[in-house]
Amino acid sequence: MTTPHLVVERVGFTTVQDAGRPGWAHLGVPRSGAVDHASFALANRLLGNEPTSALFETSGGLRVRLHAPTTVVLTGADAEAFVDDRPLAACRPQRITEGVVLRVERMRTGVRSYLGFAGGLSGEPVLGSLSHDTLSKLVPIGLSDGATVELRTTPERGAGASVAPIGLDAPLHPAALTHALLSPGPHQAWFDPEVLSADRARWTVTAQSDRVAVRLSGHAVPRRLAGEVPSLALVRGAVQVPPSGELIVMLADHPTTGGYPVIGVMNPDDVNRLAQTPPDAAVQIQLRRKS
Amino acid sequence: MPPSDQPSARALAPEVRVVKYGDCALLIDGLTPGVAAALREVVLRRLHNDAVRVVDVVPAATSLTVMHEPADGDVVRHHALAALDDSLAFDAERGVTVEIPVRYDGEDLPVVATTLGCSVAEVIQLHSNAVYVVEFCGFAPGFAYLGGLDQRLHLPRRTSPRTRVPAGAVAIASTYSAVYPRESPGGWHLLGTTTMTLWDATRDQPARLQPGMRVRFRAMS
Repeated sequence: MTTPHLVVERVGFTTVQDAGRPGWAHLGVPRSGAVDHASFALANRLLGNEPTSALFETSGGLRVRLHAPTTVVLTGADAEAFVDDRPLAACRPQRITEGVVLRVERMRTGVRSYLGFAGGLSGEPVLGSLSHDTLSKLVPIGLSDGATVELRTTPERGAGASVAPIGLDAPLHPAALTHALLSPGPHQAWFDPEVLSADRARWTVTAQSDRVAVRLSGHAVPRRLAGEVPSLALVRGAVQVPPSGELIVMLADHPTTGGYPVIGVMNPDDVNRLAQTPPDAAVQIQLRRKS
Repeated sequence: MPPSDQPSARALAPEVRVVKYGDCALLIDGLTPGVAAALREVVLRRLHNDAVRVVDVVPAATSLTVMHEPADGDVVRHHALAALDDSLAFDAERGVTVEIPVRYDGEDLPVVATTLGCSVAEVIQLHSNAVYVVEFCGFAPGFAYLGGLDQRLHLPRRTSPRTRVPAGAVAIASTYSAVYPRESPGGWHLLGTTTMTLWDATRDQPARLQPGMRVRFRAMS
């Protein structure tokens, strides 16, 4: 193969992601795309890429061999990552030569790292996107051990640390979410006003969390009303309360509509942090009352 | 031009409310079932004319959600409120009636007939006589919730959902009928199957059924 490409020697917990599929939700197609918008955007900015360029979102176990010289960068969760056997520093674009092996092994803190390449990954988009939508099973670039993924080669347009756009005080890794104040959701009338008040704010991220949603367990959230809500559109950050009383916070691959009451909505920055908050972590969740 | 004798969404649903749905969306709630798809067209036209970039405008059972950039909240709200008083125009696409050929060979047909206390032939007749409207999509890409199901066929979902429903399965649950666009799990009552392709992501219009379209089922012998 003469086109620049890489070979995925070990997939681990990795998908291809870009900015997702806006504009199709009315047909039942989730937005999908990178879960942590901030770390995704940072990777492409550090590489001088288009802001929607596709990259790898990984929770570890990834090993790829480059079959072209390129520039790479790693953002997001603090991960043990290597270029051959040398550590790959976070948020630092690095020029690498053909034949080099990149590994993103274990997450030290956080949940998801973003491994980006100058120009981005290349493939045949589905509905305008290369994102792997785990809910709808839209998989434009299927990853398996031994899979080949093409690299888009762009001119050396600003790639490199000299254009690093982040301030000196920007953290290298996103912080976990410790406290979130939800804005009011459409179904507040379904719940006791004291739900999610100060003394009932402690929640725990459960292992049943994925690209679709983060599930939080803590207290049973009783409903004041019986019956079902009519299906309504879900948005990123919408917090659903199923009959079990857990909180389900919608992430990238969330279904387009849902039939559980939505008690509140988490703001976009907090959703980015929640996406980097591992199972068993404690999170304070409070609800801003309507003024 | 929209015909002026069309009612407005507000006239149909006086209790409609327009509320913030987080920082990036507006929810128009309390709509009459079936109105959301038509209101979507009106809202889209208004926002387009004002060059407001919208991300997604999503109809649901009794609501319409407009997803927008955080900075556009006020202008989106202005147009949403105004759109409620516009006449609900029916564009050319909405005039289309899609006819879906169905072989009524569904696994649940006998149980549905027994539950309703009628014959299988009567279930088929009730299902294929109605004119349906795509109220909204959800659950899976191209899965259209078809309003207009005869009241006599209203049934709760199966108590135990199937792990595998084949693509093309024609089903009913609650007040809706639907066709499973792809193989998936599902809890609806299966009445039959169609060979029509409901979802093809490689087409410019991937979904055969879009909000606002009319649908009829034609029984094949």
